[in-house]
Amino acid sequence: MTDPRPSSAVMDVDHLDELLRQCVQCGLCLPHCATWLATGNEVQSPRGRLLLLGELIRPSDTNTAAASDAFLQAFDQCIGCRACETACPSGVPFTLLEYGQLRATEVPPLRSGLPVPAVPGAVLRRMDQTAFLGFLSRVGDLVRGVLTVVAGKTWRRRLAGGPAGTGRLVRLLGSLPTSARSDTELVKMLDGLCGRETQLVGGSPNFVGLEIPDHLPSGPGVAFFRGCANAGLLPGTSRRLRDLLSASGCRLEEPGSQDCCGALATHTGRPGRAADLRRRNREAFAGALTDGTVIVAEAAGCSHELKEYGDDFRTGVVDAVVMLAGLDLPPMGSVPLKVAYHDPCHARHGQGIIDEPRKLLAAIGGLEIVEPAEPEVCCGSGGAWGLRYPELSDELGRRKAADLAATGADLVVTSNPGCLGQIADGLQVIAPDLPILPLTDLLWYAALLRIDSSRP
Amino acid sequence: MPDPIRENPTALLSGLREILGDKGLLTDDAARLVYARDASHLTLGRPLAVALPHDESQLRRVVGLCRAAGVPVVCRGTGTGLSGGAVPGNGALVVGTSRLTDLGPVDSLQRRVRVQPGVLNDGVSRHASASGLHFAPDPSSQSAASIGGNIAENAGGPHCLRHGVTLQHLVSLEWSDADGRALDTGRAVSVERGLDLVSLLCGSEGTLGLVTSADLKLVDNPADVATLLAFFPDLDDAAGAAVGLLGEGLAPVAVEMVDQAMLLAVEEAFGFGFPTDVAAAMITEFAGQSEAVAEDCERASALLRRHGAREVRQAADESERAELWKCRKKAFGAVGRLAPNYVSMDVVVPLGELPGLVREIQVIKARHGVEIATTFHAGDGNLHPGVHYDERDPDQSRRAHAAADAIIRAALDRDGSVTGEHGVGIEKLHVLPWQLGDETARLQRGIKEIFDPQDILNPGKVHPPADAGFAALKPAPAGIDFHWANLTVSAPADASLAQLQQSAMERGFWIPVGTIALDEGVGLGRGTTVGNLVAELLTGPALCPGGTVRDYLLELWAETGDGHLFHAGAPVFKNVAGYDLVHMLCGSGRVWAQPRAATFQLRPVPECLGYWRFPLPSDELQDVARLDRLAEYLAGRDGSLGGPMMIVDAQSARSVVVMAPGRNRPWDLDRIEKDLVNLLGKPTEQIALPFNRASEILTDELIGGWALNSSDWTFLSRLPGDEGGSNFWPAAMRRLIWQSTPRLVWSPDPTTTFPGWHADRFCSEGLVLPPCAPAPGVPRDFLKRMKILFDPSGALETPRWLEGQDD
Repeated sequence: MTDPRPSSAVMDVDHLDELLRQCVQCGLCLPHCATWLATGNEVQSPRGRLLLLGELIRPSDTNTAAASDAFLQAFDQCIGCRACETACPSGVPFTLLEYGQLRATEVPPLRSGLPVPAVPGAVLRRMDQTAFLGFLSRVGDLVRGVLTVVAGKTWRRRLAGGPAGTGRLVRLLGSLPTSARSDTELVKMLDGLCGRETQLVGGSPNFVGLEIPDHLPSGPGVAFFRGCANAGLLPGTSRRLRDLLSASGCRLEEPGSQDCCGALATHTGRPGRAADLRRRNREAFAGALTDGTVIVAEAAGCSHELKEYGDDFRTGVVDAVVMLAGLDLPPMGSVPLKVAYHDPCHARHGQGIIDEPRKLLAAIGGLEIVEPAEPEVCCGSGGAWGLRYPELSDELGRRKAADLAATGADLVVTSNPGCLGQIADGLQVIAPDLPILPLTDLLWYAALLRIDSSRP
Repeated sequence: MPDPIRENPTALLSGLREILGDKGLLTDDAARLVYARDASHLTLGRPLAVALPHDESQLRRVVGLCRAAGVPVVCRGTGTGLSGGAVPGNGALVVGTSRLTDLGPVDSLQRRVRVQPGVLNDGVSRHASASGLHFAPDPSSQSAASIGGNIAENAGGPHCLRHGVTLQHLVSLEWSDADGRALDTGRAVSVERGLDLVSLLCGSEGTLGLVTSADLKLVDNPADVATLLAFFPDLDDAAGAAVGLLGEGLAPVAVEMVDQAMLLAVEEAFGFGFPTDVAAAMITEFAGQSEAVAEDCERASALLRRHGAREVRQAADESERAELWKCRKKAFGAVGRLAPNYVSMDVVVPLGELPGLVREIQVIKARHGVEIATTFHAGDGNLHPGVHYDERDPDQSRRAHAAADAIIRAALDRDGSVTGEHGVGIEKLHVLPWQLGDETARLQRGIKEIFDPQDILNPGKVHPPADAGFAALKPAPAGIDFHWANLTVSAPADASLAQLQQSAMERGFWIPVGTIALDEGVGLGRGTTVGNLVAELLTGPALCPGGTVRDYLLELWAETGDGHLFHAGAPVFKNVAGYDLVHMLCGSGRVWAQPRAATFQLRPVPECLGYWRFPLPSDELQDVARLDRLAEYLAGRDGSLGGPMMIVDAQSARSVVVMAPGRNRPWDLDRIEKDLVNLLGKPTEQIALPFNRASEILTDELIGGWALNSSDWTFLSRLPGDEGGSNFWPAAMRRLIWQSTPRLVWSPDPTTTFPGWHADRFCSEGLVLPPCAPAPGVPRDFLKRMKILFDPSGALETPRWLEGQDD
């Protein structure tokens, strides 16, 4: 069981040096790096960061103190999307080097070294708590409602004047689709796009659910990992995923003692909390690991982080999109839309998930998949990163939104809550009529169409 | 007098900050460290700062300020260069173009787009893809390399075999000189005559000026593409196969190769599942019309097997094809897996010398005890041996560099060049004198002094020291001298072009310039000489695929006004060793130097020529629309055998003649005929005849009127017995000219009214034309000083605009 990161692996300077020498400075990473694209500054590029790291561990002059400051700054501005690793022909393990440096040198741990500007620490510390996020999400709805009434459609722009991080946080929360919780809203919205009217039947419109056929053979056992953001911000989506899994024959269990995967704690420089969360999840899923139950995580960010726990989790955890793509899903109705899929970096670069979401979309009748330019480039969300560098993050979000809008798509889908909020926010500025939804929601709707039409 | 700014860089920095704003000027240690390097692993020092202008005016003001302060300026794209061209010395200002990324609209009719230098190579093709077009130069770094960098280095790439290098895809450039002046190369079309500043700037590595925007040519995406992958148990055989492919008259778009060491690295990196027990893997690609591609593939497969290929497979679909290319294009980066350091080389030899050089490299490898992994642009005779070493081991390091120098000597012994596409930079400064003659080096230094007298533009690059001990002058050919294995021909300036072409065509090759008389007595450019072709840039009525003789001229011997004979270029298909005097002088008349001899590339000759005459209806407006559509169709035709042309009948303007070279197969000319009938209705006359009998229909009467060179969008005219010609030009054609090429307008006396107009060119029997005056924006002061450099005593022809004071 090895964790690639230095929290459990020891890395000496010589080893780092060896890894670093794999970089031939060819520069092919540049156009894949979101921060280079946004700034045009090579210090903000993978090659630039590695050159600084090289200077730090094998100083060519006496000015290492300055180099280390510059290095800290440059690495702090790295989103950690890992697009450079996918692009690198020499296989430079960029993330490993980034974290490895922290162990090998005297430089203080980076992620805790620099404060997140403007966003109050109290808010940030609770960002990985489901209940708090649920609360925030409702606050976001409220704020959006109030702001729209008070400031009209310009509320976004007006918020730019507030303390950067906080304004951005409120804005992102306000950008999440309202369909995240309400089935009625979701169906209404997609019906509108498709030009049809689906009658929702069966009790509360908010809990339509998919019917699980009795005759289904017993499918794989699934231990469901909720994820704090999905559970808190997109509870409806989370439920719809479970609906889909069940309707495909999965036997679902949800270990109660699970907690946040710890990604956010790592990103915000709280390694202690991250380790604590990791320990708790290890306990919660110990049973699943031993009896071969698949651990399915909903958000790409969570599945990626869980896989970093070690080899057992790397083989035991399956991203929800990959899981769905391997199942016999319930029959789907026709959704005659042009749909663009946005690849979350956690999926594309972190786990090599590229074909699976497209396969799922291709299974929906009448749907046309359109590919945006630069699908490998990060949307600039980056979890807490976007709150630390709001301007850069905004620019990247808009860039991504423009690429997606240029496809002529009717709808954008993705599979990570961070990307969802970020791109929704960018689209509000670039293409306000182009909606974005979780992939799960679209699949659920397509399945619902068939069930709906088969009901009396 | 001490310069206040130079004494005190803070004053310069605050001046720069005023121009660029805080975010446009990086002065911190991190930036100075990162921008001290590029992909070459070479360093000179630490730059003063890094400027990232966001528009062209900022860039020019920054350059002007640095010139005033005497601070060197090093222009940088994305730092993917391999010769250290973008590496700054101590205290220089790096000017990065990464924020100059504007893309103009794609002109799909003229197949052009104007872009800023920071746009990435791949980005241009992505931008043009909706119009079915792409930018042909494709260096392996194309996903990251900028257009500005491509121009500075005259970048190549696998598909340059068919389409030519970056230079051949430039229409014109806007640039800043050392003073920050906004200048133009003034070339509306690539067949324009005059001293060609585009050829001079392209490949000058930022030492003469900074390109601020470029008008690029685009080419059509092919209808069909097929890619063959062949594995060879023997490296010699593989090199021989590459020579054989082209020698057989096949016209592949790319012939690429990797040796076993490189194949192993690529396999380790990407796991394609290629066999690794072979000595070489070769990619051969054909593009064009499906039937032609299928036939070529079949012939090529048989040929590759005959040359010892163990296995030849064809990519089944587009994704497999993309995988193959990924293997080739990422090979360079994958060497990071083989050794911590390597000398990256870029030698190029005449095609037929490739197998010999490959054998010699094996000997050098053994003699110096080094590991070498090589990628080949085999069809171009260009190879990139990477000599591995570990810089921590001084002995290994010394042996690697000695081996590299031995490889360069071996290439030069075979009449090659030290660099085909990577540039001189600082990396090849010590070997350049082995190749360049004294007089050539003196002229190159002279040009640098004219453009940049203070030596502030990328100093220390490209030019070896004056006392470096240059090579002896290469003897010029005494008669027409064919090198069939190399697919080149050398000839003295007074050799008959018709005779050269006839001899070439007997072997199935020619210099594809349509000017050429097919026999001495009839047709175009009769009685003309090789020297005339080069000096006057004679262009034919469009039976040339890519444009002009500039695209096929490889090597030039010429004499300056004061009688110094110099030699420029090399008999190789790609060459960026120093400034490109060959193409700069091609088409410049006899104002700067007298051509004495030249070497050209030979291309396969078309098999037949189709000829159709269609009636034009009398409605003028309808004519224009139909001719527009016809012109667009013809421009999009695959030009591998020569572009088709249309000629509006000179006498009545009531009919249009279309001629197209092609293969002697039912599917080739029949396809064109079908398309033409769809556009123009039934022809009144149709002929198909062997290409070497083309002169039978290319009569004076036919070509005497109108020709639209479809591949270059150039209007050519000759009006027999008509001085002004105004009554002769049908209104419909006048409109067509206005609509299609607004920069080339009609005039009764075009050669004097419109600079750069080259009417009358293609059939100028003994006619001597006045040299064109430069267009507005072209720096006449530079041209005047160039005249003094090349012709100090004024012994050669001197047009009026070159006389008098600087304007």
